[in-house]
Amino acid sequence: MNSTGLKNPNPAGSTKVQLFSLDNVYRIYGEEPVAVHALDGVSLDVHSGDFMAIIGPSGSGKSTLLGLLGCLDLPSRGSIKVSDTEVTELDDGARSKLRGDSIGFVFQQFHLIPHLTALGNVATALLYRDLTKSEISQRALKALDTVGLAERLDHRPVQMSGGEQQRVAIARAIVTDPLMILADEPTGALDTKNAKMVMDIFKNLQGENRAVVLVTHDLEIAEQMDRVVSMRDGKIIADDLRSERTESLQNTFWESGSGSKLE
Amino acid sequence: MNWFREILSVAISGLTARKARTLLIMLGPVLGAAGIVAAVGLNESAKGDVRQTLERLGTNLIVASADGSFSAGQAPTLPEDAVERVKNVSTVDRVAGITEIGSLTVHPSQGGKDFFRTIPVPVLTSDQNLLNVLDAQMLYGRFINGADEDNIFRSAVIGQDLANSYQYLPGEVRTIDVDGKTYGIVGVLENVDLVPKLDTAVIIPKSAAEEDFDVEQKPTTLYVRATEGNVDSTADALAMAINLGGDEAVTVAVPSDLLEAQGAVDTTLRNILFLMGGLALLVGGVGIANVMSISVIQRSGEIGIRRALGHTKQTIALQFVLEALFVGVLGGIVGVVTGVSVIYLVSSILGWIATLNIPLFLVAGGMALIVSVIAGLYPAWKAARLEPLETLRLG
Repeated sequence: MNSTGLKNPNPAGSTKVQLFSLDNVYRIYGEEPVAVHALDGVSLDVHSGDFMAIIGPSGSGKSTLLGLLGCLDLPSRGSIKVSDTEVTELDDGARSKLRGDSIGFVFQQFHLIPHLTALGNVATALLYRDLTKSEISQRALKALDTVGLAERLDHRPVQMSGGEQQRVAIARAIVTDPLMILADEPTGALDTKNAKMVMDIFKNLQGENRAVVLVTHDLEIAEQMDRVVSMRDGKIIADDLRSERTESLQNTFWESGSGSKLE
Repeated sequence: MNWFREILSVAISGLTARKARTLLIMLGPVLGAAGIVAAVGLNESAKGDVRQTLERLGTNLIVASADGSFSAGQAPTLPEDAVERVKNVSTVDRVAGITEIGSLTVHPSQGGKDFFRTIPVPVLTSDQNLLNVLDAQMLYGRFINGADEDNIFRSAVIGQDLANSYQYLPGEVRTIDVDGKTYGIVGVLENVDLVPKLDTAVIIPKSAAEEDFDVEQKPTTLYVRATEGNVDSTADALAMAINLGGDEAVTVAVPSDLLEAQGAVDTTLRNILFLMGGLALLVGGVGIANVMSISVIQRSGEIGIRRALGHTKQTIALQFVLEALFVGVLGGIVGVVTGVSVIYLVSSILGWIATLNIPLFLVAGGMALIVSVIAGLYPAWKAARLEPLETLRLG
């Protein structure tokens, strides 16, 4: 059992390796009495091979959790570990390096650098790693090939569709071969066809040594994930494995007492 | 090494991606450096012709003249052996004397007598080394030489202005009437900037002057060249060296002093212009800080994603400082080139001699660079402090 009182989705005996671990994490903005408790004693383990969705309504704390999981922010209290490294004890430089090495980000709005080509955008993730120019090009090209965009390496974001831009962003996320891919509403700005294509890519990225974590409002997307973490009011209220799920997420969510639909 | 090459390339691509904005940012250092170079350069170019003349003439010529009242129609004179006395001064390089002969009338012997009578023409004798001491040149013909002196020839050398007044033609065989005696013109002396009275003078051999006009061979003026760096001390010593405590009054002057004063660059004006250029640069710096700060806000998404991809705060800051550095280097170079172009353009229009002050280019370019980098520090600091969570708009 973890500190939220929920059952551990990876019981002892599992062969999965723990990659990320949040232990009793608080994130509080401002000071009492007007302090906002964005995360309120959250504990969460992410293992290799996890294909996980974090769901919850606006204000539930999932973006804050994403920031902390992505080492983009530090908790007010609690511990965050990546492998065996305590993130809260790292300075900005070391935390940046850990982030660059261990986490691949995919955002709803793609966040491609507009003046760079697809290849340039993917290569940006490989800068300052003492790689030669040709090594960077080869790896970036391979990543673009993985998402089916090897033919469009010279195109700038403005010359590509939303789906293509998101695939470039995925290529950028995987080019460093990270431990975890952290995606924030990756299909939120895409039509159904492109959303399916992107989800198919994520499914293919799932591997023994890597975790894929999606933050989403979309329960249909969440239904496709192996593990779903539900959040409300800064707490994790459910952490389910699909294999053990007996009802649809929609029903589970309504029964969890949220009283409102996901937004 | 790869790291530095990569950050350079990121900075350059950041600048080239937004050419219009980069040009706007660059305007500051360009105008500042151009302002400094042009303002100071034009000030110096305006004096360039005078200073060029000075360079040609040298500033070590000293004129020692007899001072006192005229007596018996003769100008006041120096001691007969004044030249020898002056030669004894150790800082004197070379010396020549002239003797002005008063009360003589001069006009061309061939026609136009009445027309030319009104022009005052000094008649004088001189040492044969006068040209050498004055660094003067003959326009045509030759100067008075030993043969003229030994044979008491009635030869005459006339100044360039007098030759023009008498409508003397080069190579023409002409004579000149000196107080009723006819002298043959053997040469025309080119204008001597430091001794303008020679430009309208007639120079005749000492022997002929003595024969025709019964002139005492006492010099009235000595032209002295001092050795390098000893002009003032030589000038101070000359009066005593000439009269040896006697009663001949001596006036000493350094004719280049006046020219030097005319040609001297007005340091106050130059400093003011330099300051104005510096102010332009400062305003440019504020412009850089302003435009780059806006650029940081506009590029916050790019900064956020770079941070998410593992780029450190220092890398982000350095990227922006390097962008400012490139703006400074390029702006400084373009500014100096623009300033030089302005100097050449204005000088050619106004007929000045374009004077380029190379060290100033380095100062102006360097200032443009420093101001740009300093102006880039604040936006760079702002960029580094941007929190990726705030710029990436998660959830």
